Amino acid sequence: MAETQSVSGQTPAQQRAGWVTGTLILFCLASTIITAIAGLVQVSFGEYSMTFLEAWRAVFNPNVIFNINAWSAFLFGTELPEMRTASIVVWELRLPRVFVGIITGATLAVSGAIFQAVTRNELASPFVLGVSSGAGFAVLATLIVFSGLASVLPLIATLGGAVAFILVYTIAWKGGTNPVRLVLAGVIVNMVFQSLQQGLFFFADDLGVVQTAVAWLTGSLTGTGWDEVRIAILPALLSCAIAIGGARQLNVLMLGERTARSLGMRVERTRFLLSVVAILAASAAIAVAGIVSFFGLVVPHIVRNTVGGDYRRLILSCLFAGPALMVVADVGARLALSGTQLPVGVVTGLVGGPYFLYLMRKQQSMGEL
Amino acid sequence: MARTQDHEREQDRITDEDGVAIDSALVGENLELSYPTSEEPIVDCARLDIPEEAVTALVGPNGSGKSTLLKALSNHLEPETGTVRIHGDDLDSFSQKALARELGVLSQENDSLGSISVEDLVYHGRYPHRGFFDSVSKTDREAVERALELAGIEHLRNAELGQLSGGQKQLAWIAMVLAQDTDVLLLDEPTTFLDVHHQFRVLETIRQLNEEKGVTVAVILHDISQAARFTDYLVAMRDGELYDWGPPADVVTEQLLADVFGVEATVRYEPELQVLPKRALPDR
Repeated sequence: MAETQSVSGQTPAQQRAGWVTGTLILFCLASTIITAIAGLVQVSFGEYSMTFLEAWRAVFNPNVIFNINAWSAFLFGTELPEMRTASIVVWELRLPRVFVGIITGATLAVSGAIFQAVTRNELASPFVLGVSSGAGFAVLATLIVFSGLASVLPLIATLGGAVAFILVYTIAWKGGTNPVRLVLAGVIVNMVFQSLQQGLFFFADDLGVVQTAVAWLTGSLTGTGWDEVRIAILPALLSCAIAIGGARQLNVLMLGERTARSLGMRVERTRFLLSVVAILAASAAIAVAGIVSFFGLVVPHIVRNTVGGDYRRLILSCLFAGPALMVVADVGARLALSGTQLPVGVVTGLVGGPYFLYLMRKQQSMGEL
Repeated sequence: MARTQDHEREQDRITDEDGVAIDSALVGENLELSYPTSEEPIVDCARLDIPEEAVTALVGPNGSGKSTLLKALSNHLEPETGTVRIHGDDLDSFSQKALARELGVLSQENDSLGSISVEDLVYHGRYPHRGFFDSVSKTDREAVERALELAGIEHLRNAELGQLSGGQKQLAWIAMVLAQDTDVLLLDEPTTFLDVHHQFRVLETIRQLNEEKGVTVAVILHDISQAARFTDYLVAMRDGELYDWGPPADVVTEQLLADVFGVEATVRYEPELQVLPKRALPDR
């Protein structure tokens, strides 16, 4: 982590004012550029063929960007004003998918970063603590058994994730929790829910249902639109704002339970509240994109390797790096195979797995509790 | 103010050598301490005083309950029975943050942190003084500078904790507790695992802090000759009970070394208190 030493030449006053380092700014800037480019690529390709220039002109079409009616249609679902076909394709079909990618990328990354601090375990992710398997089980059960509830699937997924997390917390609670117990309880709950999921597949009699379920379980942005943006944007904004505000608490938590307590932190309460924020963030993503594997685990690692372990920098960078990687992965998922779209979770898993392996080989100390 | 009722001969030690009664910063009364996993109480102590504006050392063999006692004094362990008061107020009457402004604690083992800079670590000492949304104030900055200076690690402020030696790390942690700016400081074995140079650096920092700022310090030390040299009072513990309490010159005797530590030793009182351990006594 040579980059983190770039602060060492500064005088103390400067450094206090600026935990914002050059590396951090550069990293965020690069992430933004990558997000923008990937987003533009995403809106340029598709069944309705248009040139790059046409697509980009549609994106930056002032008649849409500065049209209050259009934005009210996007964000509140009111009637869409008249537009040219190119604008409709870009603004109604392709761009919202990019926005959903940005939202899910940011929330999953932040959620992973928070969970890694709360459990003080670098291998933690939104999904280690049972959230994913709980949400997955809820989704499957809805699709296969209670198919009447399919219209509120996102809500049910969130609920399933939250219930699983509360279960994990209850199991781990013994006059207080500790990171090891939390992770162990998470593994157990994960296992049980995954068995239940597999059991449920036997009761699915319709191939279409199975495909929908699999898309949910691997995480997919296919067919997402402004509806999904509307679902996710508020919890995403809220959780990300709290995460930035709570970065110092996360830093103090990283000092260890006893030290945090000595410094006057109510450790259990802080840990629980931050977990709730992380759940909220993960739920926002799960609700619209399903369970995108590996993402919450890998992104904080990439970021930590670049900007260092300080959570003020880490959270902020996650907000930029998460969207960049998610949008890029989704470009791959949508455009890699002509004629069919992969779930984005397949891409993140395929890229994230080997990258994580590489990190593990490179870093001696990784994964120590 | 009887300090300990464990031994009758200590009844007369409630005053110092000039006959002036001593105020206590921390008082533990009728303490019975145990962990959830243990059946029997680990510490059973009728009364413990940590005198105001003095350095008190807790000494005793491994497993004698020093750390447990310190945890109770710092509200990290809820006593089965009894109370702990700081400047007369029950510890439970403080919120966690308010207590952290009165009482600084340094645990025995601190988790290894790699990439945090010394200065960032010391700034965390300001945690109890800052609200959720407060940014760093001038007071915070001054307290951190003072702490770094007192611990003598200003030159290390930008170094990463992971790259420091054990002794430097310990000084950084101590600086963090100093930045907390408390009147009372509890330190659990701050010198263990350090080389002699850093042991003295730590002890001198403690001494200096006490002399310049009048901070009350209770510190667990393993080396009884160091304890005798650097502290105003000694609390000797054995098997979870107070064995003796008082100024080092009164407490440190050949009898104590045999009873508490199980070593045969010579104790010289002139020109200054000196402990020369000779050999281990057979198990009692």
